[in-house]
Amino acid sequence: MILQNLSIKRKLTLITMLTSSIALILSSVSFLIYDLVSFRNLLSQDLMTQAEIIGYNSAGAMEFKDEPAATATLSALTAKEDIVTAVLYKPDGKIFAHYFRGNAAFSGFLPIHLQKKGSRFEGGYLEVFQEVTLNGEHVGTLFLQSDMRQWSLRAKRYANILIIFVLVSGLFALFVSSKLQGLISKPILHLEDTMRMVSSNKNYAVRAVKTYSDEIGRLIDGFNTMLSEIQQRDTALQSTNGELKTRTQELEEEVFQRKQAQEELLKAKHTAEEANRAKSTFLANMSHELRTPLNAIIGYSEMLEEETRDTGKIENVQDLRKIQGAGKHLLSLINDVLDLSKIEAGKMALHLENFDVSQVIEEMVTTLKPAAAKNGNSIQVHLADSVNTMRADVTKVRQILFNLLSNACKFTDHGTVSVNVDQIKFENREWIQFQVRDTGIGISAKQKENLFQEFAQADASIARKYGGTGQLMKGQIWVESEPGQGATFTVRLPAQVVFEATENVQSESAGKIPAGPSETKTGRETILVIDDDPSVRDLMSRFLSKLDFHVVAAANGEEGLRLARQVDPLLITLDVVMPECDGWTVLNKLKSDSKLAGIPVIMVTVVDNEAMGLDMGAANYLIKPVDRDRLAVLVEKHRVARTSITDTDLVPLSYVAEGPAGRKTVGARVPKTRRN
Amino acid sequence: MLRRLGILIVALSVSLSGTPEAFAQAPDSRDSSEYLIKAGFIYNFAKFVEWPSAAFAQPDSPIVIGILGTDPFGPLIDQIVENKKIGARSFVVKRLKWGTDFKELRDCKILFVGASEKAHVDELVQIVKTLPILTVGETPGFAERGGVIRFVLEDNRVRFEVNVEAAHQADLTISSRLLTLARIIQQAAAETRKPG
Repeated sequence: MILQNLSIKRKLTLITMLTSSIALILSSVSFLIYDLVSFRNLLSQDLMTQAEIIGYNSAGAMEFKDEPAATATLSALTAKEDIVTAVLYKPDGKIFAHYFRGNAAFSGFLPIHLQKKGSRFEGGYLEVFQEVTLNGEHVGTLFLQSDMRQWSLRAKRYANILIIFVLVSGLFALFVSSKLQGLISKPILHLEDTMRMVSSNKNYAVRAVKTYSDEIGRLIDGFNTMLSEIQQRDTALQSTNGELKTRTQELEEEVFQRKQAQEELLKAKHTAEEANRAKSTFLANMSHELRTPLNAIIGYSEMLEEETRDTGKIENVQDLRKIQGAGKHLLSLINDVLDLSKIEAGKMALHLENFDVSQVIEEMVTTLKPAAAKNGNSIQVHLADSVNTMRADVTKVRQILFNLLSNACKFTDHGTVSVNVDQIKFENREWIQFQVRDTGIGISAKQKENLFQEFAQADASIARKYGGTGQLMKGQIWVESEPGQGATFTVRLPAQVVFEATENVQSESAGKIPAGPSETKTGRETILVIDDDPSVRDLMSRFLSKLDFHVVAAANGEEGLRLARQVDPLLITLDVVMPECDGWTVLNKLKSDSKLAGIPVIMVTVVDNEAMGLDMGAANYLIKPVDRDRLAVLVEKHRVARTSITDTDLVPLSYVAEGPAGRKTVGARVPKTRRN
Repeated sequence: MLRRLGILIVALSVSLSGTPEAFAQAPDSRDSSEYLIKAGFIYNFAKFVEWPSAAFAQPDSPIVIGILGTDPFGPLIDQIVENKKIGARSFVVKRLKWGTDFKELRDCKILFVGASEKAHVDELVQIVKTLPILTVGETPGFAERGGVIRFVLEDNRVRFEVNVEAAHQADLTISSRLLTLARIIQQAAAETRKPG
């Protein structure tokens, strides 16, 4: 509807106008109708009266047949403008006299059937019949016809008056309502203006002015209250915003300062790390430097001891042994320092591989037999059935066990050192647990405290490095002991060590067996020693010769390669640090030559990088000064592997194994020629 | 419309043709039709005239119509008034002769003076002038001489003259409705005529 979208002003005016006009018109029209109806009745009565008079007056004329007199009587109706026709009928229905207004012949219609008396409205005319009587005798009938000119004139006049009245009063109503509508529309328009001002300028300080205390007044009050609330909130919001901004700035400044501090810290850290690394590098280098002369000291003292013993100069043997012992002690100290520095420098890496636990134990026991025998100790091995292979850094495991066992042998006199190996389940994981028990002097509580500290006394030289090593493999170590009651060291390592950062897929060096038929030129096997250090060459030659090997030595890489092709040795020992062609190059060339690739290579060097050596194809990795017992075991192993295809005369190595199966034969085989 | 107009024309022609027809008879059978009308008029006069109540012995005493001299009506007038009544009064027609029936003359309420009594008009007027008798004549100068009503023939139509003064002397009240139809005659004319 168009009406709905009109402004409130117009709506109010329109409503007022419509209402008043309708009321006015309705009342006027009803009044008009009432008046016209009653006026018509009046007219009709008037006409009847007229008819009576005329009828009375015409009676004589009718009776005396005086037509002119009757006509004259009728002519008196000229004064009555609305009478159109007047006719006197004789009793037989014939016209006696007539009158037509304005002398027009017949402006109306004459009735066909005469009535005695009465009035009727017919075809816009008012018609009246009047009986003319004389002394109660019917002498004729008078017919009067009126066009109600008066009535229609009156109606016309009334209609005009009504129109003018409605127009005038409408104008008046318009005037009044346009004045009065302001009472309602003005405050609303004012409210609207205020609202627009507020929303367009965002000025919440503006207030609408209340004019009256009606509903609109209350509306304005409510609006103002709302505005003041919004204003309050706006102010609060702004101040909060300002605070927030300040805080943000402060925070930014703080962040900036912290960043600077962090950078400084980072710099300091880098510097410290650099210094530490330099220290570690220095230590590592120093250890290497120290090892080379120690090599000679230990090697030659051992040689001398043997030769002296052979010549029967027993008194010198003791002295030589003391030199040898001191050398070895010094070596172990240096090794400790080296390992510690490596852990600190983060260079300690794990080289994970699968290996047979029983084999490692066997090697260990073989190696330590002489040390045990020295104090009159016996070594017992208990290997549980369930223990099979584990995945860990075999070198580290060996180191831990070696230290534990050698210590046990050292502090026990004429007793028993037992090794128990178990596979257990703990915290939902599979663990291999090694227990080394002795019946020696034991460890006091105070000693225990310092036991796993860094740089502890040589008595507890397993020190933290093993803890550290163990921890690298997520293992645990602890000791149970009472003074004089012996000691039990327990090491627990995961059966499957996972150490992603440094895990390397190792070549299964232990199981690597050179292909091709063995070729024995002489009764003795040939070993090629490649080292630029003449003392090492000398010592190795002498040691290996004693083990019934034929030794060929080369002073550099080139010569080594040439000799390797020439003599086709059982195995090759290779130094790394050599002038011109270093050990890595030689190893690479050996492994890339199809003829030579099958020859096992044992790296013998001061460079501690076993992982790299094994990666490049070396069978074993020994660090100088060479542990001669270990070298002997390794060399023996390779000889067995070489001859195993033809030589079946092997003696099984037996262990005392725990578990329901009782004694058990494990897979490793030891050649009968092995010396214990 | 056309139909109504047709009806109108028919009605007009009927009324126009009716009027001359009624009066056309008058010249042809002059005596009978003229006196038929006059007899009717005499009866009609009784309707418009009021007699003093003392004139009648009783409320239902009849109105006596006397015909003096030669009777021009014959049985017509008897036929007209037969069984007619005005109020409670009926009509009686009596035929009278000048000189003999003076007593009965006085009892009449309407007295028609025939043309034969032309010579006795003045004398008659002197006798009945104060009596409540409506005198009706047809001789010229009847009203002027003191008669109340005289018939006149005018354009072949019967009309009448009324001497209001005479009616007043006779104590008769004549309705204005009758007077509007009549020619009013002054008494004075009768006075001046008499010596002449």
